[in-house]
Amino acid sequence: MTRTRRLAAAVTVVGILAFALPAGASAASTITISGATGSAPLVALLAKKYVKLKPGKVKFKLAQGGGEVGVQDAAAGRVTIGNAARDPRPSDPSGLVFYPIAKDFFCFDTNPANTLPNLSLAQAQAIWTGQVRNWEEVPGSTITGTIDLIGRTAASSLPPLVQQLLLGGKSISPLAALKPSDGLVEQSVASDKNAIGFNSGYYASQKDVHAVAFEGVACNLQNAKSGQYPGVRNYYEVTRGKATGAASAFINWIQHSAAARKIIASIAIPLN
Amino acid sequence: MEPPSAARSSPLGENRRRSSPPGRVFARLREPWTDRQAAWRLGAVASLVLLIIVLMVAFVAVRAWPVLQANGWISWLGTGGNVDHQLGQMIATGQHPPDSAYHLRAWPLIYGTLLTTGASVLIGLAFSLLAAIFIVEFAPARIRAVVVPAVRLLAAVPSVIYGLIGILVLAPWVGSHLISPGRKDSVQNVVQIDGTGVLVAVVVLTVMITPIMIAIVVDALRAIPPAWTEGAAALGANRWEVVWSVSVRAARPAIVAAAVLACARALGEAVGLSMVSGSRGFSPNPVDGITYLFEPIRPLAASMVENVDAINAPPVRASIYAFALLLLLSSLALSIGGYVAKLPMRRQGLRV
Repeated sequence: MTRTRRLAAAVTVVGILAFALPAGASAASTITISGATGSAPLVALLAKKYVKLKPGKVKFKLAQGGGEVGVQDAAAGRVTIGNAARDPRPSDPSGLVFYPIAKDFFCFDTNPANTLPNLSLAQAQAIWTGQVRNWEEVPGSTITGTIDLIGRTAASSLPPLVQQLLLGGKSISPLAALKPSDGLVEQSVASDKNAIGFNSGYYASQKDVHAVAFEGVACNLQNAKSGQYPGVRNYYEVTRGKATGAASAFINWIQHSAAARKIIASIAIPLN
Repeated sequence: MEPPSAARSSPLGENRRRSSPPGRVFARLREPWTDRQAAWRLGAVASLVLLIIVLMVAFVAVRAWPVLQANGWISWLGTGGNVDHQLGQMIATGQHPPDSAYHLRAWPLIYGTLLTTGASVLIGLAFSLLAAIFIVEFAPARIRAVVVPAVRLLAAVPSVIYGLIGILVLAPWVGSHLISPGRKDSVQNVVQIDGTGVLVAVVVLTVMITPIMIAIVVDALRAIPPAWTEGAAALGANRWEVVWSVSVRAARPAIVAAAVLACARALGEAVGLSMVSGSRGFSPNPVDGITYLFEPIRPLAASMVENVDAINAPPVRASIYAFALLLLLSSLALSIGGYVAKLPMRRQGLRV
């Protein structure tokens, strides 16, 4: 009898804990974010700083998935904030609010074994439409063999922007291997000497890939800031309806505080 | 359990009852069941399993319905266009997409599934049969004592580990040693090959499923009554003849069962294959000769995993459910097929 009673007591305690613990944990409000892989490193840095400034008040759950996924997730109410990496479109779900937070650049990048100094618009078009398939035919290439095109899946907002701003409206060849994130494009380019891909600034600036100059302008933060480099896009935080509560406070902090501006300036371009 | 109101309505027993309701419940549970009780209760549990399966198939079918309806019951399984492009187009279609947003032709994914599963089960079957015969009939006791536990351990290794070895070791090796620049050039206007693809996927999948098959076949061969094999030996058959004509024949049902189980695991393998298959909705063309082995594919289960990020777009969600429905029905068909395959042997009087 005592054993069964003890067992019953144990079950009760576990039951109470199971209900009580999550309730206690939710004292800090949680902001869930998903979307663009390009702005993910920036948002992660901002969130880290923000948590430090408001200890115990706010928690973040960060996921990636791609800019288009971020917009859809926000529209479906799956996340508090979606990271978008392109301007709003008329075809976007209605009721979304886009809060601009920063600008970023994007580059063509190759394996460090191929120190391609520059791509002209015509060369980039020939490579990415699949018209030129061998590095031998690309002046300045330091390797030979087939060109491996590494692109992004449709979950990303980057391919349309690359086509618009760096390829003069030409479409990327369906030959391209499609990767689901900026990180995986960087990894694929870094591990394949024949590869060429395109990456957001943070990833293209890493040591394991070589950022290729476009039309004679080096692809880096400085040239993007000065406006010389054409491959620049806006990052947004997207909410369903106007942002409220913790999300609103966070977005407001990103847009207006000096601390956030300093972080943005370190890896991207702050808004005016 | 005693409702609290009952305790309140009988003041005499109040004290005793309030102190011990959990105790009384446990005590009642510990009483032995009558046969009739046991039959009912166990029957209820067993039918619950059946009910869950039926509900699961129904749920998945209902969720997959928009895709089946928009594309046609059969035609979404067919060829046409680039399946990766179709899945991609589905993402930005909003929360109330029109029927046209559901356009899907999933043949490359089905082809990839059939190819990897079929090839790896065939190779695995041959390999596991020979390995099991060696273990049961020819291996010295000392080797057997090492090999059998090793096989069981291999069967329990999580598949993602095989996938990791595949992507980090096997695929780069294939990419740099087996795929010549000339071979890459030969298909450069059709598809890019980088090491991941049919070959590595089949190898990894075979390694994944063979240990289970070996374990099952070994158990079956061991269960053959000694009188049968001894009889054959007494008639002058050597060991190989005994095994091949008596043991393996008698163990056919178990071999079929092993193949069915392996098929089921191969069909559902997602993460490992997502890593090594080349991850592209492409149908390799046998006309390409040896290059065929290096061309990328992507099976259904891997496609489900890879599109899970976009699950909030209704067409993507419905497509993932459609893939799930296909896999569910295939495994259902496999179990039924396995049962049917065993029927003739059962008629011969073999215990199956």
